[in-house]
Amino acid sequence: MSERVILLVEDNPSDEELTLRALKKSNILNRVVVVRDGAEALAYLFARGVHASRAADEIPQVILLDLKLPKIDGLEVLREIRADDRTKLLPVVVLTSSIQEQDVVTSYGLGANSYVRKPVDFTQFVEAVRQLGLYWLVINQPLPT
Amino acid sequence: MPGEVERLRRGLRLLSDAIVAFSEAGTDYHLLLDAVAKNVANVIGDTCVVVLREPNDDLIAGAIYDRDPKVVADLAILFSGALGAEGQLARHTMLTGEPRLIPFIDLAALKPSIAPVIHEALAKIRVHGALAVAMRVRGQPIGVLSVLRHREQLRPLDMIDCELLQDLANHAGLAISNARLTDQLRESEAIRAAKEEALRANRFLDVVIEHIPDMVFVKDADRLAFTRFNRAGEQLLGVPREDLIGKNDFDFFPAAEAEFFQAKDRETLNNKQLVEIAEEPIMTANGQRWLHTKKVPILDENGTPVYLLGISRDITDRKRADTELRRAKDQAERASKELESFSYSVAHDLRAPLRGIDGFSQALIEDYADKLDAEGRRYLDRVRESAQRMALLIDDLLNLSKVTRSELNLRTVDLSALAATSVASLQRVEPIRNVTVEIEPNLSVEADPRMLAIALDNLFGNAWKFTSKTEGARIALSAVERNGHRAFAIRDNGAGFDMQYANKLFGVFQRLHSESEFPGTGIGLATVARIIHRHRGQVTAEGTPGQGATFYFTLGTEAEA
Repeated sequence: MSERVILLVEDNPSDEELTLRALKKSNILNRVVVVRDGAEALAYLFARGVHASRAADEIPQVILLDLKLPKIDGLEVLREIRADDRTKLLPVVVLTSSIQEQDVVTSYGLGANSYVRKPVDFTQFVEAVRQLGLYWLVINQPLPT
Repeated sequence: MPGEVERLRRGLRLLSDAIVAFSEAGTDYHLLLDAVAKNVANVIGDTCVVVLREPNDDLIAGAIYDRDPKVVADLAILFSGALGAEGQLARHTMLTGEPRLIPFIDLAALKPSIAPVIHEALAKIRVHGALAVAMRVRGQPIGVLSVLRHREQLRPLDMIDCELLQDLANHAGLAISNARLTDQLRESEAIRAAKEEALRANRFLDVVIEHIPDMVFVKDADRLAFTRFNRAGEQLLGVPREDLIGKNDFDFFPAAEAEFFQAKDRETLNNKQLVEIAEEPIMTANGQRWLHTKKVPILDENGTPVYLLGISRDITDRKRADTELRRAKDQAERASKELESFSYSVAHDLRAPLRGIDGFSQALIEDYADKLDAEGRRYLDRVRESAQRMALLIDDLLNLSKVTRSELNLRTVDLSALAATSVASLQRVEPIRNVTVEIEPNLSVEADPRMLAIALDNLFGNAWKFTSKTEGARIALSAVERNGHRAFAIRDNGAGFDMQYANKLFGVFQRLHSESEFPGTGIGLATVARIIHRHRGQVTAEGTPGQGATFYFTLGTEAEA
């Protein structure tokens, strides 16, 4: 069986570390692949560039996608994920700082499965990550591979 | 010869009747001619034709009478223009001044010498006698009275008829001559009046043109030289009209401009059609101006253009205002875009470091618990509190900026339902609170539902917060009347406030309670005020310390901001 990884698209090192910490505290033990900009996210998903040699059967069970990213922003990444047959059905959770209406509307418009705002209060952040992990990795029945 | 005496007596009586008739006809020329013809026909008999001499010596038939209208109709041919050969008798009479009496006319002998149509007409009425006498006034012949005899039963015309006709002619001539003079007088009076009227109209036009606030100018069609200029034109160009009249565009304007003006002039004159130039630059003594010009061809009676009329409105100020307005609008749009991207980056980037501060403080507390004493942990808690408060401030500020910027989408909104939603979410966050909430049902308003929801969240949030230390907390929403307007009141029995500070309530970052007493950012009511003002409403508050507060707001009651 292929490995069920979590793809974390996050450019802020603090947020990355806090997210990993929150996952760990929530006992989510899946391997987390971290990519730090939109271009790298796409490179990983389509196994090209620096990620050309990744295991072909490695499919993220959920993508945690920040919106404000260097090079290619999160909305564009989402657009390309949904435009490609190989990735169009992957669960994408937008995990970002803003709940600017335009972001929420555009994200859902592009086919995001969920939109979660990162709380400043770390206790709440952990709780949010815990629930996300529980839902997407345990409760939600993934597409058969 | 008693018969002749009788005839003379009768003739005299008829003559005097005729003279009275002439004077009765007065100075109406045509009426008089008819009266003459009719009376002569009555006195002498049968048909009378009044022949008149025109100023060019042509003879024309001026009037005809016969008591039989058929005869008049048959002789209508005589009125088709100047008399030809048929007028020979009359012409001869007039030139010699001698009456001509032809007791018996041989029509057949006459035939070669007169026009066939005339001969035909005369034959038709069976003329058998004629008499003509000149009408002379002050020695000058003015015409001829002629009589045609066609009735068989009447005796032939004789010398008595001739004398009688001469008497009539003398009187008729004078009357006709007088009437003619009067007619001429009348005509010249009419011409004079028409000239005066034209002058008056011209003067009127002059005043109108002179005082029209737009530049009005006239150019002659040949040389396109100015023939007329009004005051607005002088002022616009900064040149007195004496210097303009007789000159053309090339004498005043840069060559390119002058060429453009004249090209438009030619277009107008050649097409004989109005040409409108919506915007044209013009160099004046007072700098460059912009004109909106109409050019109109003025044609003579044959349709040939003789003048070009131009009317120009100075649109420089309007154009400048338009440009400035456009620039201001662009600037505002740019500023609004900048503000938008600013808030966007605030929303994203300002929160991330706060998450770091809070998260790593918590990590310290968790991972290094054994190395921290109570004081150290308390400090870290304070760090976290500060970070979270900062996050709250950012959110509130973004909200405030959003309600200022975003478009207002008015529709009918159920205020009661929105209020219930607000209260429900407050209750969800603090399920243990026991607050009695009364919301008047079915309050319907015209508002932007999202903005109104934000306002209600803040107002109910405040009421909820400030009743947190009150036993038996109550919050109520109801419609009331304030200053003649429908208003809504949100009343609570919480901490209240001192009316002395009421004016500070709605300012940004203004707080009447300390953070430790009741937490808050001081932005909520400023946001409420902005939302209500954008709805052209008013928001006010009343309160008493320790006894609660009431917030009133109206919607759509104020003039457009």
